[in-house]
Amino acid sequence: MSNEQPTGASLSQGATIGARLNMLTHLHKLEARRGIAEIFNNPVSNFMTILVIAIALALPAGLQILLDNSKSLSESWDGASRISLYLKTDLKENRLYSLADEIRQQNDVAKVDVITQKQALDDFKQRSGFADALSQLDSNPLPPVLVIQPSPSHSTPQASELMLAEFDRIPEVDIAQLDLDWVRKLYAIIQLAEKAASALGIALGLAVLLIVGNTIRLSVQNRREEIEVVKLVGATDGFIRRPFLYTGLWYGLFAGITCWLILNISLLWLQESVANLAGLYQSQFSLSGLGAIQSLQLILISCGLGLLGSWLSVGRHIRQIEPR
Amino acid sequence: MIEFAEVSKRYPNGQEALKRVTFELADGEMAFLTGHSGAGKSTLLKLICLMERATSGQVVVNNKNLNRTSKRNIPSVRRNIGMIFQDHRLLFDRSVFDNVALPLIIAGYPHREIGRRVRAALDKVGLLSKEKHTPIMLSGGEQQRVGIARAVVNKPPLLLADEPTGNLDPELSSEIMKLFEQFNQVGVSLLIASHDLSLIAQMHYRTLVMKEGQLVSDQIEATTDNEAVSYE
Repeated sequence: MSNEQPTGASLSQGATIGARLNMLTHLHKLEARRGIAEIFNNPVSNFMTILVIAIALALPAGLQILLDNSKSLSESWDGASRISLYLKTDLKENRLYSLADEIRQQNDVAKVDVITQKQALDDFKQRSGFADALSQLDSNPLPPVLVIQPSPSHSTPQASELMLAEFDRIPEVDIAQLDLDWVRKLYAIIQLAEKAASALGIALGLAVLLIVGNTIRLSVQNRREEIEVVKLVGATDGFIRRPFLYTGLWYGLFAGITCWLILNISLLWLQESVANLAGLYQSQFSLSGLGAIQSLQLILISCGLGLLGSWLSVGRHIRQIEPR
Repeated sequence: MIEFAEVSKRYPNGQEALKRVTFELADGEMAFLTGHSGAGKSTLLKLICLMERATSGQVVVNNKNLNRTSKRNIPSVRRNIGMIFQDHRLLFDRSVFDNVALPLIIAGYPHREIGRRVRAALDKVGLLSKEKHTPIMLSGGEQQRVGIARAVVNKPPLLLADEPTGNLDPELSSEIMKLFEQFNQVGVSLLIASHDLSLIAQMHYRTLVMKEGQLVSDQIEATTDNEAVSYE
């Protein structure tokens, strides 16, 4: 120092742009590490914060997963809009089969399944658990049923309804029912639930911003003295902001990963019950969890919220701290 | 280097800390600033490094009019001023090396140059062997020298010191003053606020005396060892 003229704090001469860039990446690494250290310095309370954020994210994300699942479920039924013809109970068995054959001849019908009265009763006995009570009956109260699968070209709701009206006119038919109806209702409910999930997502996203913002505010206040010193030696607000932004980003990342774990564990836990339920409906349905892209989206959104939350908070609070 | 023209400072609570202060510190000059506590020494230093703003009058530092410096440009003004505090203001969770490196990191110096400059500054204050220590492990005098190394590491043309020897015994104090003289010899301007009149008297430098916010005396040498005289 002694043999050089004081040059002031103008940036050092001879430093190439490459060297500067190196320094910048070096600094970012340093600050990223310091941000993590900040979290691990106080593991218990920071883990709680992360857990709170993760739960706040898991609620709307979990709801979204359930909705996606029920949508795929209803869509798979939507294509197979079956028509059930409940026939008159006094119908002879051979007339039943001939009627089925007649209907099979129609070119808008893909498949006709026959459920005789006896089959219906056996099935009912097996599933309802009223086997003993049913055996007391003198006659079979259940009607024979024809389950009609429209050909793919006629499985739209409108075409199905036309067919339904047609079948209703057959004299042997007691009731003709389109299985699509309840699917439509389910679909409307799902749409409603989807809107509710979006609202919930927005509200909880805001909550995450507030949680991160508040945590960062405390962290800024804890480091007030350090910020004053750094300001005194000429640090810009941007420089001071950076480590806090990294802390926010890490909060988001850890919370995103935790949220992903929570969701997957819950899905695993539900899987058996769902399989059981699906079995009762003779369905191969199983819950589909988060795919790779959705997992990535979840973690990115979480990181984004962490970063945004700390960015919204840190600027304001750093500006308030001036060295005295 | 520093020009004050009719500078007054009134704090929001109505206290008038500076009243029409006018003086000039030439490039490469070293001067002491003295007076009772509450006489306005700290306020004067704070105006130079923009910790406070003048209520009226002009403050020009390093040919920059500080009245017209926007908040955004405060960091660049501070980077040209080395500041030394009575309470050192070190970061206790970082090593001596990292403390001294702080101004260079902030200014974006390349990694290798930081190492070179920090070690040069620590060598200058005689603490090269303690770069890996944390400040808490050092004595008061050593902590102050770390503060000085941090102030000079980016070679600012101006050093401000606010009671740099306030907590030190006479021997350490004169060591610190010798360091300041060495910086002055290589062309650094210094303004040192101190109420240690005996020390100032030994040094034979220009001394600005403040009383109740006014500059009451501006002499090349402090008069005597008798502290009371120069105040009253």
